[in-house]
Amino acid sequence: MDSTCRRMRAEILDISFSSGHGHIPTCFSVVECLYAAYEVMRHDPKRPDWAERDRFVLSKGHAALGYYAVLAQHSYFDIKEVAGFGAYNSRFGCHADRTKLPGVEASTGSLGHGIGIAVGMALGERVAGRQTKVFTLIGDGESNEGSVWEAVMVANNVGLNNLTIIYDHNKSQGRCLPVTNPGERFRSFGCEVVEVNGHNVDALKEVFARPATGVRAVIADTVKGYGCKTLVDNVNEWHRKSPDAEQLAKLLEELHAPAI
Amino acid sequence: MRRQFKETTTALAATDPRVAVVLGDVSVYMFMDFHRANPGKFYNMGICENSLISVAAGMTATGMRPFVHTIAPFLTERSLEQIKLDCAYNQWPVNIVTCGASFDYAWDGATHHCYTDLAILRLLPNMEVLQPGSRREVDALMRATYDSGKPTYIRLSDHPHDVETNLEFGKGTVLREGKSGVTVMTAGPILPNVMAACEDLDVNLVYFHTLKPMDRALVERFRHDRILVVHDAFGLQEAINEVPGLRTWYHGLPDQFCAWYGTVHDIRARIGLDAPGIRKAVTTLLETPSA
Repeated sequence: MDSTCRRMRAEILDISFSSGHGHIPTCFSVVECLYAAYEVMRHDPKRPDWAERDRFVLSKGHAALGYYAVLAQHSYFDIKEVAGFGAYNSRFGCHADRTKLPGVEASTGSLGHGIGIAVGMALGERVAGRQTKVFTLIGDGESNEGSVWEAVMVANNVGLNNLTIIYDHNKSQGRCLPVTNPGERFRSFGCEVVEVNGHNVDALKEVFARPATGVRAVIADTVKGYGCKTLVDNVNEWHRKSPDAEQLAKLLEELHAPAI
Repeated sequence: MRRQFKETTTALAATDPRVAVVLGDVSVYMFMDFHRANPGKFYNMGICENSLISVAAGMTATGMRPFVHTIAPFLTERSLEQIKLDCAYNQWPVNIVTCGASFDYAWDGATHHCYTDLAILRLLPNMEVLQPGSRREVDALMRATYDSGKPTYIRLSDHPHDVETNLEFGKGTVLREGKSGVTVMTAGPILPNVMAACEDLDVNLVYFHTLKPMDRALVERFRHDRILVVHDAFGLQEAINEVPGLRTWYHGLPDQFCAWYGTVHDIRARIGLDAPGIRKAVTTLLETPSA
């Protein structure tokens, strides 16, 4: 595991322990995707409103804690501030609010909204003639929402080549309405599909940096809870659960084990 | 009114490169000349009302000022959450313009009727909610609000009136004054029916095109009257009653689907919103001073 991503996972565990909030397994499946995107994107934490920036929309908004860890890693704020996660009057809600935090492009939480917003951003950037890129991260559970597929149709129909849809293929939706063969589905909607190991930062960065001629869907093969065996083996129990002190110690031990 | 919508967006786009039109496969032919004059600013995006709102919100985030347009129930009731979150909560000032409400498509049945739009959108923080009744109002209010920094809802009608009113955003109009202590308040294209009903009656007649923000100062002027709200939708009476301590009555929609087909005039007549039906409601109130 990438050492930075390991450290961010430890931060996520610590904050979830101290705050009592957070979707840890979801966050752990997307840490590398988020980190790689921000490594590749053109952005400046000192100028979050910079017109020429690339934009990122976290469509699966409940991964906010992972998002905060990555934004802190990229100097949008100090990770220590996120200790107030979900607390009254904190800037750091369990779903991110763009009006409260620099670097957050859209307030999300209800599934199936962010991808449509990202399509509109990509369209607006093209109309403005800016050579920028828009990235959005969606989940497989989120892709039960019909609005996701509306947005994918619209994006392809207007011919966007500045939009990358990162699909967190952590197979979590096997419990009710699975999205089987997501690559085929996105391809059939007209997307350029790339399938990649969603926990390999270098591979993700290489894919994100490639020029695209159309709407790109990156099917990131991920493991929900990646990094801690307890989470991987018990994803439903841990979907929205914070560890107590004993559990935290065990999860950190698993996270720092030489092999995962 | 739709023609005025097209003419005003065309005029705005001529001077403001941020203006764009996003259609849900409605009014498309009407906008062909806008399309020709504004390449890259016109999108007949599809029959996907949720995405129309979300995409327009994203466009707004990049600095554009889109007008999103299709039939009222599909854009407001179906996409309420997109309007709530992607426009109001995110504070992206999308302009939402609909046609068909309340009963312009009476013949299509209740699937195409829409009378909750004004009421539900009025409840969303940051929203501006407008029901213009005339072409002049459409033009003036679109110009006043399209770059207001807030999301705006404008409900068009195929049956506009031609009454001279105060065109200022957020302001109502006193169209006539009486001495009986009864004030009739109304909004939008139903106005001619209300005027005909009250023609020789001793009542005040107050008209609104803006339901949010409400012209509370004007409502306050009539706080000592008995106020009869006449409206072919929900939303106006609730807005008026936010002024505390009023005595109001509502003459409007019944608690049922008005799925009898025909025309808007047939529906209005059946539910007492034609001139005789409104007159009956006003005279009843006039004749029962203790009410």
